[in-house]
Amino acid sequence: MRAAALWLVALVIFGVVASGCIGGEEAKTSQAEVQLTGDFTKDVVEIGKVLEQNGVKEVKFSAWGSGDPNSVMRVYGIVEAARRINKIWADNGINVKIVVTETHYVASFQDAYKEYLSKQPLGQAGDFFVNSYAFLPTLADEGYILDITDYAKAYQSVIDDFYPSLIEASKYNGKLYGLPQDTEARPLYIRKDVAQKIGFDLNGLDEKVKNGEFTWSDVYYWAKKAKDEGAAEWGLIHRKGSAHPDLIQFIFAFGGKLYDPNTGKLVVDVPAVYKWLYVEWKFARDGLLPGDIMSWDWAKQIHPTVVEGRTLFDIGGTWYWTEWQTKQYYAKEGTPRGLKPEEVRDWFCYTLFPAGEKGKEPVTLSQPFVWMINSKAGQLNPKYDELKDIYHKLAFLMLIKASDPDINAIHSVISAHLPVRKDAAKLIKDEKWLNGLKALNLDLSDEVKSNIGDIVQATVNPINAQFLADVSYMLEYTHLAPAHPKYPALADIFKEAVDKVLRGEMTPEEAVKYIVQKVQADPELAQNVEIQGEIPKDWKFPQG
Amino acid sequence: MTKGKLRDLSFFLSPMVLMVFLFYLVPLVMTIYISMTRMRNWNVERYLTEFVGLYNYERLFYMFQHDPTFKAVIMTTLVFVGITLVINVFGGLALALATFFINERPASSYRLLWLLPRMSPIAVYSLVWYYFFHGSEIGTLNSILMSLGFISQPIPWGQVTPWGAWSVIIFVNGLVGVSFGMIVFTSALNQIPKELVIAARVDGASSWQISRRILIPMIKWHLLYVLTWQFLSLLTTYPHLFLLVQWDLVNRDYGTTLALYVFNTAFGRGEQDQGLAAAAAVILSIIGILGGFVTLKVLKFERMMKKPRGDF
Repeated sequence: MRAAALWLVALVIFGVVASGCIGGEEAKTSQAEVQLTGDFTKDVVEIGKVLEQNGVKEVKFSAWGSGDPNSVMRVYGIVEAARRINKIWADNGINVKIVVTETHYVASFQDAYKEYLSKQPLGQAGDFFVNSYAFLPTLADEGYILDITDYAKAYQSVIDDFYPSLIEASKYNGKLYGLPQDTEARPLYIRKDVAQKIGFDLNGLDEKVKNGEFTWSDVYYWAKKAKDEGAAEWGLIHRKGSAHPDLIQFIFAFGGKLYDPNTGKLVVDVPAVYKWLYVEWKFARDGLLPGDIMSWDWAKQIHPTVVEGRTLFDIGGTWYWTEWQTKQYYAKEGTPRGLKPEEVRDWFCYTLFPAGEKGKEPVTLSQPFVWMINSKAGQLNPKYDELKDIYHKLAFLMLIKASDPDINAIHSVISAHLPVRKDAAKLIKDEKWLNGLKALNLDLSDEVKSNIGDIVQATVNPINAQFLADVSYMLEYTHLAPAHPKYPALADIFKEAVDKVLRGEMTPEEAVKYIVQKVQADPELAQNVEIQGEIPKDWKFPQG
Repeated sequence: MTKGKLRDLSFFLSPMVLMVFLFYLVPLVMTIYISMTRMRNWNVERYLTEFVGLYNYERLFYMFQHDPTFKAVIMTTLVFVGITLVINVFGGLALALATFFINERPASSYRLLWLLPRMSPIAVYSLVWYYFFHGSEIGTLNSILMSLGFISQPIPWGQVTPWGAWSVIIFVNGLVGVSFGMIVFTSALNQIPKELVIAARVDGASSWQISRRILIPMIKWHLLYVLTWQFLSLLTTYPHLFLLVQWDLVNRDYGTTLALYVFNTAFGRGEQDQGLAAAAAVILSIIGILGGFVTLKVLKFERMMKKPRGDF
């Protein structure tokens, strides 16, 4: 009996001590709250201290990205950010390290999105995900990415350095879900050699396009002349695949819209869509644009036709500029090779996407890529449940670091995307900095240097920097496709309609009816899309 | 049935019963359940309990009625399954018979050749046909025909609707499927006592007569098996079709079967609507079950299953 009483007392004492310890732990966890102050070094150090106190020596993160081969900084920016934060910790005697365990990079951004969508609920998706802002609404709506609105408040000065339209593109329902990583414009490229053969004076063309004096009727006129006089095989080449985002520029160029902010619904602007389809139809019927271009092969047909001067016009993206230099599309002399920077400069003129008709304005279109944070970021790390907020804040700080002007500027120069920050835009005009990049004599990790070395050699030169500087003004004319979860489905229907008019299977009128029918056939899509306006009756193209 | 017999049966059948339960019944029940939820974008946590009854079926039928291209999907499914089935079964039979009458060594090599499409990775195999049928002068077929002077302009094979698109998908899938029948029939033919063939030869029968009167009747059940198997397989196949459509080689409307429609709805780009896809999959399963049942009934499958006489 006495022994039993002693055991009971011992148990009670143990219980009290244990609860004290647990209580102590709780106190420790409450200390784990770190308020972001906007002082980057201070915030990183605070977070490092909390991690260290909790026995965390290594924080693992993975980065998923996608895009053309020159855009690998979309993942190596994260690697570099980790190194810079590790350095801060080391300098402050904090024994914690970030390790980027995986840099998953694939060519197709749509495939990357599909992979993220299926793996995020299983907890197998990357901690950082860079992809088109077009997917952000769905990811945010499903709770798959982190709302960083509150974190960003402390870093307002950094946020203010981004171009405002790009920050808007990173929001959904008024909340911030990512930071812009890059953007671009979609110029109309013109072959100077073909233009010269037909007497097409390109001097001052930029201004005429800006003023809306040079419209798509003029594009038609010169394309036809180039074809008729045998100066080129085609008048115009454009991209294939989804009508988003390249071809929907026509809707904006004809003064149309795709989204009604008052109702929050997508819009099929019938007059603008009709005019767009009519232009495509007319070009294809007159043999100026291949009727089967939507099934052309990128590497064997589209790019070679453009770089070999077999077309007068080409609708492309700014990234073509460096892609033409690093990929072997040019085979006119036999062995395929990339273009030299001088050749790209001497052969191509570039302007905004002209106005659809007189009285309208020129446009361009951007599809910003956005750095997003997985809502489960850091989940594979120790004490995730207790330190979730710390890991998420650390992930946010990594995005802030990965957005450093120099990292952003490197990405812009080597991939011909436009910088997203004003400070980065200044940097790409700095010759000294460019020379440092060319020699890879910058404060970058060896891993990053070895992964971008070849691309840097092929692309960093004054010609490419000048190109970026020249096209930057286009952002003033930029439009963004609506960030709406149903937009990809609508863009897909547009693509089908374009293909049918190009092939001559449908007239523009029939194609507009087809779009309306397709939208109305799906009750969910129909609820989210407004059909506005009528097919214009006496509209003519080309106009005099 | 005695207890002992029941125990023996349970012992031998249980692995199969378990397999059927785990890999057929459970997914089927799950598919039916998902078809009655608003499941999308793989958000199981959020939508699995959001029960919407027959909403997805109603939406699907509404789309069937009003979508201008849905008729093409139905027609494509019928034509694709019908013609490819005939090619797979009778092509396989022809190949098996052809190799039956030649020496074993060349016959093996010949059979191996027909197995290549099945052994090649789907993407590689599809890419070969992508370049072969490409609708421009870079397409192998077009460049051959143009250099021989048969055509002056390249023909967009897969974009000529409907038969151009149908021909390409039937050709590509037919080549893959034909080897299955060939293997089954070859194996069945090898079980037939050689004496029968030798005796018929001695009596002066030609290869055609031997095939028609002796060989084909003796592999009737194998024919039935291949026919049913290939029917169900073709009804649900989509990987080659997916790539050919994705790469814009064939017209999307006339290159999409119901199975591909299900896949694209569940895993396609843009919004991934697993609830709607599950509803379409349930309808596809019903068609498959009915089709399989009718095939077996018409061809009197149960006669093969009855007890052999004399041995018991």
